[in-house]
Amino acid sequence: MGKFNYDKEVLANLRIDEKDLPRLDRLIDYDSAREAHEKKSHAAIDKRVSLKEAISEYVKDGDILADTGFSYVRTPIIAYFEILRQGIKGMTSIGSPATNQSYLIPFGAVTHSHWSYCGAEMRGTDRNMSRLIKEGKSKVVAEWSHGSMALGFKAAQLGIPGVYSKQLLGSDMVKYNPFVKVVDNPMKTEKDPCVFIPALYPDTAIIHVHQADKFGNAKIYGPLINDAAIAAATRKLIITAEEIVPPNSLRNDNKGVVIPFVYSDAVVEMPYGALVGAMPGLYYWPRRLWEKIMRYWAFKEGAIEEFYDIFVVQCKDQYDIIDKFLGGSKWMMDAKRLTKAEEYDNEDDGVDFHYKEWTMNEPDFDDIKDYK
Amino acid sequence: MTAKPANPLEMIAYVLARQIEDGEVVYIGTGLPMVAGILAKKTHAPNITLVYESGAQNPVIGDMPWSVAGPYTWRKSPMILEMSYSFGQIYNGYVDKAFLGYAQLDMYGNVNTHMIGGDFHNYKNRLTGSGGNNDLSSLAKHLVLVGLQSPQKFVKNLDFMTSVGYLTGGDSRKKAGLVGDGPKSVITSAGVYDFEPESKRMRITSLHPGVSPELAQLATGFELLKPAGEIPVTPVPTQEIIDILRKEVDPRGVFTSMPS
Repeated sequence: MGKFNYDKEVLANLRIDEKDLPRLDRLIDYDSAREAHEKKSHAAIDKRVSLKEAISEYVKDGDILADTGFSYVRTPIIAYFEILRQGIKGMTSIGSPATNQSYLIPFGAVTHSHWSYCGAEMRGTDRNMSRLIKEGKSKVVAEWSHGSMALGFKAAQLGIPGVYSKQLLGSDMVKYNPFVKVVDNPMKTEKDPCVFIPALYPDTAIIHVHQADKFGNAKIYGPLINDAAIAAATRKLIITAEEIVPPNSLRNDNKGVVIPFVYSDAVVEMPYGALVGAMPGLYYWPRRLWEKIMRYWAFKEGAIEEFYDIFVVQCKDQYDIIDKFLGGSKWMMDAKRLTKAEEYDNEDDGVDFHYKEWTMNEPDFDDIKDYK
Repeated sequence: MTAKPANPLEMIAYVLARQIEDGEVVYIGTGLPMVAGILAKKTHAPNITLVYESGAQNPVIGDMPWSVAGPYTWRKSPMILEMSYSFGQIYNGYVDKAFLGYAQLDMYGNVNTHMIGGDFHNYKNRLTGSGGNNDLSSLAKHLVLVGLQSPQKFVKNLDFMTSVGYLTGGDSRKKAGLVGDGPKSVITSAGVYDFEPESKRMRITSLHPGVSPELAQLATGFELLKPAGEIPVTPVPTQEIIDILRKEVDPRGVFTSMPS
């Protein structure tokens, strides 16, 4: 008998067999997570390394990788490209949303998927994901709602075995999620079904932040999503930061410091590390580029190879993306102006948000060109 | 120059906006709910607070956000919540209304946003999955469902039940342990619907101009209940409101231009 008590019917519904169980176990195995946290250095030491070193040391074949940020807002996408570059295989992806697994699955980096939301909101369904799951390139191991998964990470951060909650009840999702159980509220005299959500412990996470010091204290501006909780839960943590600041800078202005250094294993200085997405306060989406991803590379069968060729082979880093494809310094200034105007830190009166949507007829994805 | 009347998507946004009363806290999903929330705030309900599942809340209203975590959802927000806390405020009774979309909807207001056709392993298309859909329908006091209406969308049997409305009708929602009152209304391209209080089956409230009960039924894969007496016609937006919608709320037509 294994360590955890999964519902057999749910495992059968998901077609999860014995050999997948260790992968499931690790997500809720508090003992091994605590041990990993105990073993890492608790000293404030300089943890700065290159992105290459950080990924090769702290992201391993078969790991449970937490997707952070919100889809393509403050998400460490450049680090995900490095994961592809290093050919890491067989990971489980978990996140709310977990949209970035869409380009990790085709190359074998992710083979098991926790599903909460995959898509691009107004750009619609992710056809690539739909195909990949159906073809068995990745196996869905659990269906989640955003709120239920968020509670699992939050329980880990709070240092508790799990939480009782009220979502998922009665829906088909409880039949397709081996980690949640319908139980009765023990305090109520009347029958009161609840769902028990265990604390969730990923193996590894990369969190992209605005500022970090060399020890790994980290500051975030804008939506935090689940990242403070994931930082506390994960066994291994890489911080990629737009800038590295002196420790006293975070002491003098600690607003937004949400990750304590002791959680962090590696700190990587990485300006524009959230490309090809957006970074609150710093840069806006390269919109035509993003549309090409959703409407072509992740939509048309076979086009994902081209995506790999551009972002993993042709571009060795984020600066190559900016210089070779986005329009260089002009894009940098434009992206800064757009986000600051939208956030209303710059005057927005007179700032033009129009751009021409990407189409196959005009396949260049530089969105600062004048297409009029 | 005569302006064009509201297209079906603009009509939905307008009717949805009218569901909001001034002073409320409204939880907004992506798409038409965003348009409706911003339209309400710019017209009859200036003192509402918009809340998003990313944890963004109470922005100074700007243009249409690109994402529920995009800057327009937290533009000059006094604070942004973590995702778990954002859903927690619904359970704790601080959210008055929640707006949600669907890919399939059944007669009890249960929703599918997971997959179309076949089964879990052999579907025709996998969609986005739950996101916050299940959380909102499980927890919200007053849920409003919004989307297009067709026999493919209003179905007898869902291909997957992402979110529970009234489950199998009667008091089955409450028995399952869910909180909140369940869906109060459904707003579509054809009309406005509510749920009959006993059976919890979907019932016509009003139909949009030009839509007959027969046409609404034709666009539905289950039997629609009808109210006693004559079926009212849904009021349409004034030209002033259409102008605000087109010029100020969704000027680039992100959600309210009809797909060509």
